[in-house]
Amino acid sequence: MSRIEQFQYDNRITRAFGMASFIWGVVGMLVGIIIALQLIFPVLNATSTGIEFLSFGRLRPLHTNAVIFAFVGNGLFMGIYYSLQRLLRARMFSDRLSWIHFWGWQIVILCAAYTLPMGITTSSEYAELEWPIDILITLVWVVFGINMFGTILKRREDHLYVAIWFYIATWVTVAVLHIVRSLEMPFSAIKSYTMFSGVQDALVQWWYGHNAVAFFLTTPYLGMMYYFLPKAANRPVYSYKLSIIHFWALIFIYIWAGPHHLLYSSMPDWVQSLGTVFSIMLIAPSWGGMLNGLLTLRGAWDRVRQDPVLKFMVVAVTAYGMATFEGPMLSIKSVNAISHFTDWTIAHVHVGALGWNGFLTFGVLYWLWPRMYRTELYSVKLANMHFWIGTLGILFYAVPLYWAGWTQAMMWKQFTPEGTLAWGNFLDTVTQIIPMYAMRVFGGTLFFVGTCLGVYNLVKTAQKGNFLANEDAEAPARQSGKLVMAAGEHWHRWIESRPIQMLLFSTILIAIGGIVQILPMVFIESQVPKIASVKPFTPLELTGRDIYIREGCVGCHSQQIRPFRSETERYGEYSKSGEHIYDRPFLWGSKRTGPDLAREGGKYPDSWHYNHMMDPTTMSPGSIMPAYPAMLDNQLDLSALPDKISALRKLGTPYPKDFEAKAIADAHKQAKKVADNLKSQGVKDEGMENKEIVAIIAYLQRLGTDIKVQKSATQK
Amino acid sequence: MYKYLLQSVEGIQWFGITALLIFFTAFCVAFLRAALSSKEDMQHMANLPFDDNK
Repeated sequence: MSRIEQFQYDNRITRAFGMASFIWGVVGMLVGIIIALQLIFPVLNATSTGIEFLSFGRLRPLHTNAVIFAFVGNGLFMGIYYSLQRLLRARMFSDRLSWIHFWGWQIVILCAAYTLPMGITTSSEYAELEWPIDILITLVWVVFGINMFGTILKRREDHLYVAIWFYIATWVTVAVLHIVRSLEMPFSAIKSYTMFSGVQDALVQWWYGHNAVAFFLTTPYLGMMYYFLPKAANRPVYSYKLSIIHFWALIFIYIWAGPHHLLYSSMPDWVQSLGTVFSIMLIAPSWGGMLNGLLTLRGAWDRVRQDPVLKFMVVAVTAYGMATFEGPMLSIKSVNAISHFTDWTIAHVHVGALGWNGFLTFGVLYWLWPRMYRTELYSVKLANMHFWIGTLGILFYAVPLYWAGWTQAMMWKQFTPEGTLAWGNFLDTVTQIIPMYAMRVFGGTLFFVGTCLGVYNLVKTAQKGNFLANEDAEAPARQSGKLVMAAGEHWHRWIESRPIQMLLFSTILIAIGGIVQILPMVFIESQVPKIASVKPFTPLELTGRDIYIREGCVGCHSQQIRPFRSETERYGEYSKSGEHIYDRPFLWGSKRTGPDLAREGGKYPDSWHYNHMMDPTTMSPGSIMPAYPAMLDNQLDLSALPDKISALRKLGTPYPKDFEAKAIADAHKQAKKVADNLKSQGVKDEGMENKEIVAIIAYLQRLGTDIKVQKSATQK
Repeated sequence: MYKYLLQSVEGIQWFGITALLIFFTAFCVAFLRAALSSKEDMQHMANLPFDDNK
């Protein structure tokens, strides 16, 4: 009989992550409301007054990063730090590492909160942070890993509960995703170009982006579901066997599904098909997990009526089920042809973010706070009110956007009996859905108000309680740290009781998908047919492209024309993979709040773009695009060009030898040409050749012109 | 080097079918692993969250 050991669980770190989660949650949601309002009242972009950091393009990544990495990120660390200690009957491996992890993560968030509005971004969705912050994230993640595995190794419980498998898979997969997505070549202290280009970059991006959803927003939260839902319901999980299949099938399949973000793009068909097939297969493990969660409440449904914690959790798990049914449906090509680039996608992700992540976080917070503060929840009534306001908020958010997405897709695709586009002016399809955008603001605000009520309730609970920083516990010591297999025990115990082997096995499983999809794309040149007429960007165009990236134009404008008649009529020839081989990063985008720009070059005179940037409504009355008058005033900074050219050449862009020395002069020459054009077209301002506007015009006029075979007939 | 190694491979069609086979195998192994577990084992594992001195 082993001796009983006394120890203490660390509640301080759980509380710190919990507080960070709801504080950043409020901030992230508030930014969400602001950018939603900007779509209705473009004047709120404030760019017309010269304040550049408040534009939609710069704030949108701030919103997504704040919600994903700050709100949910801190939420999942809260859940992991609480449940890991208890499931392993051990305090965290090192208090110091816990706090380095906590403050390191908050510093990452603060860096994001500064750099993104400043326009310092890679523009890759959910991986916008630049290379120095990427390194910091890596270090923090390693600290978290050492702390987690250190705790697992010093545990007092032999068996690893399924929640811990999910945490291990989360750690290893996020590490792999982050490192591969962050492979980039710095050309200054804060900026870099990605290692991959065009189609390859697109594939790496959506392998990353999709699995950020899978392994940052889903697997750790599933681990939390498997711990906190049984705790709150006070009964074990419905089927532990199902949880085993759920885990292994989910982590293996998820990693393959990324290419469903690139259907009908210039990605090779075989990659798209793999994405579709694996996405559809995902229904099985996802619903297995959802049903396992809901059925855990068998015989306890009466308590759901009274307990706000269970209410939040039930809606969270239901939202998980809805989102994981909808996801595979959206991965079917014929459905995706309608949904992609529209607000349907935005509605889909918010069912997941608000319902699954948001409500599970609140459920766990409401369960944890009274326990850690040794008191009752300040107000159950208020928590119930939060629940109902939040639920209504989700509905008012999602339903109008489903409507908007469907409406706009139908308008994009509608032809007149004569065979021309019924809505040839893209803007008409935008103004049509503004009322839905207004309803979305209402829904988002409801959800935000609910969150504020929740924060108030938790603060009041803390005030009336007495915080238990170190919780006494005792457990038998683990014998010699080795598990002896008893007669009749199964072989699976071998792997599931050995964390390091578990880590390796999970790594192999998640690596297979990435390797099969990405390696051929990166290393087999025939996968991306080259087009002789496609040349690298000129120095001025490159500068303009970097301004385009800085302003987050990709948040609203795609550069990928799908091979549909409705798109080739509107935008011109469909996009080819060979056109993008010098795109670092690729800028295909995933949402069309404005029209596609893949063939924008030559569509309008330079002066049109000049006036459009100064005030979009002068060229397109009713436009909701932010005005960029600052581009007409900002001095054109070409000083980084030699370093940019040098970095790009190292990555494979065939700039001539010693082009660095000529790049600035070349840019000035082209800038002069654009400025002369502007003058001849009636623009009276002087010194335009030294302003940013000429660079962005040069870039936009280049887009799609390398293989421009036909003029688009109908646009505007 | 890998570039040339992979280029020498004739086509990449087998990637898809291999992937499916690997998945099928992994799924079957997970299924068998769960199906063959004893009831007591599963009960013990499912009760782990409730045995933390609370």
